[in-house]
Amino acid sequence: MNEAQRKKDIRRTTLILVVIAATFFFGFIAMGVLRA
Amino acid sequence: MTTAVSDAHNEHDDHGPTKGIGRWLFSTNHKDIGTMYLVFSLTMFFIGGAMAMVIRSELAIPGLQFVHPEFFNQMTTMHALIMVFGAVMPAFVGLANWMIPLMIGAPDMALPRMNNWSFWILPIAFGMLLSTLLMPGGSPAGGWTMYPPLVLQTGDSFPFLIFSVHLMGLSSIMGAINVIVTIINMRSPHMSLLRMPMFVWTWLITAYLLIAVMPVLAGAVTMLLTDQFFGTSFFLAAGGGDPVMFQHIFWFFGHPEVYIMILPAFGVVSEIIPVFSRKPLFGHDSMVYAASCIAFLSFIVWAHHMFTVGMPLTGQLFFMFATMLIAVPTGVKIFNWIATMWRGAMTFETPMLFSLAFVFLFTIGGFSGLMLAVAPADVQYHDTYFVVAHFHYVLVPGSVFAIMAGAYYWLPKWTGYMYNETLGKVHFWASTIFVNLTFFPMHFLGLAGMPRRIPDYSTQFSDFNTMASIGAIGFGMSQLLFVWVLLTSRKGKKATAEVWDNPPGLEWTVPSPAPYHTFETPPEISEEDGVH
Repeated sequence: MNEAQRKKDIRRTTLILVVIAATFFFGFIAMGVLRA
Repeated sequence: MTTAVSDAHNEHDDHGPTKGIGRWLFSTNHKDIGTMYLVFSLTMFFIGGAMAMVIRSELAIPGLQFVHPEFFNQMTTMHALIMVFGAVMPAFVGLANWMIPLMIGAPDMALPRMNNWSFWILPIAFGMLLSTLLMPGGSPAGGWTMYPPLVLQTGDSFPFLIFSVHLMGLSSIMGAINVIVTIINMRSPHMSLLRMPMFVWTWLITAYLLIAVMPVLAGAVTMLLTDQFFGTSFFLAAGGGDPVMFQHIFWFFGHPEVYIMILPAFGVVSEIIPVFSRKPLFGHDSMVYAASCIAFLSFIVWAHHMFTVGMPLTGQLFFMFATMLIAVPTGVKIFNWIATMWRGAMTFETPMLFSLAFVFLFTIGGFSGLMLAVAPADVQYHDTYFVVAHFHYVLVPGSVFAIMAGAYYWLPKWTGYMYNETLGKVHFWASTIFVNLTFFPMHFLGLAGMPRRIPDYSTQFSDFNTMASIGAIGFGMSQLLFVWVLLTSRKGKKATAEVWDNPPGLEWTVPSPAPYHTFETPPEISEEDGVH
């Protein structure tokens, strides 16, 4: 695997993980809003 | 022993660390950052430990001796927050920083600048949390679980608590992202996922848990913050909110958090036991599947912390049986460690001693966990010292012993010197004796009905409390021996690259101490080579 491809993969994996974390954060607050 | 060899580091000696404080402030080197995490964690271990000494001194005999009850509550709250978020978690992140790139043949973590950021957030977070001790009204005192409405009575330190928890969460999430991205993208060629060492595997699973649950904690404390300062009523019954909802959200984070603190410990022990048994790890793949099962189950058992809050019978049954199910993959792990030792040529150096104690004593914590999982019995145990005994058995001779085992195991690779084995063994035996003296009597106290989080108690509980306090002071003093071992480690003989007797893994193919830069060219591992 060349370096450019590796950097692209790293960016993509990071982005996916950030989206997952943000989903849990806002998802649980949204659940709180819906229940409150 | 793998034949993978990297000489790349020899060509890069000119890229050594920068001089002075800048090396540490601006470091993007995984070894430097790992060292900082470990030193930070040890510092927090002693600060949290000092708070434990206050707690145990107060409880040594019945009556109020040394501290005001309000300060006692601050100590229990701060002790837990510091030990969980400041000592145990950063210690495992430190071990991950040091060892994961070395174990997978990567030159560094995938996101080195974020790595620096993840670390330096922590001293700010804990500086802020500890500063509350000096505030009028003192530190948070409502327990580390931060249950409303009690936590909303905290006073001036409340926003400091919330912001520091946010920062700890941010640091953990960034650290977890870094670990996953590194393991997924930076492994050396031919190191397939199932050929990764167990420590790397358990950390990969732990990192996914962190990414799923730390934002949930952040969300929960954000809602507490808005309830306190912005007029919302997420958890305030008076405004139509639901305080029990906080408990559900908190434990949706809190139970996986337990596994965040124990899965990397499983990984450390799975590295050590095979080396000192001179046998490969029994059932490597089943260990991976067991750790994955434990991680999955950890998401569906949270309400076993809340049996006494009240829930439908079907809910109680579900959470009870789901919790008991965790014993199955955990049993697989314990079986595999014992099978690894079976008929092995075992020797008992300090890392192995700590690992063996881990297997025995963590199992005690596991069994008391099973007892607590039984919903009707939990009504009796809930909020008693039985719970305190249970989670301390899981976290002290569990997580902390595994951290100690890992520190002794990898210390020669980090420093280039063998530590004093005799002192290490004295440290081990003192720790093991005193940890049991501290926490085993708490089972009896709990069964007899002594509630947790109280500064005074009925005289019938005094004998076991005195024993526990003597044990705690002995355990605390024993840890000074560990610092002495660290400080004098440079007086030991020089460590070889392999350090131990024919250990598997790429980390043992680099010299000791590990050069500042390693594996700048990925090591070649042939398909036939057993990495683990």
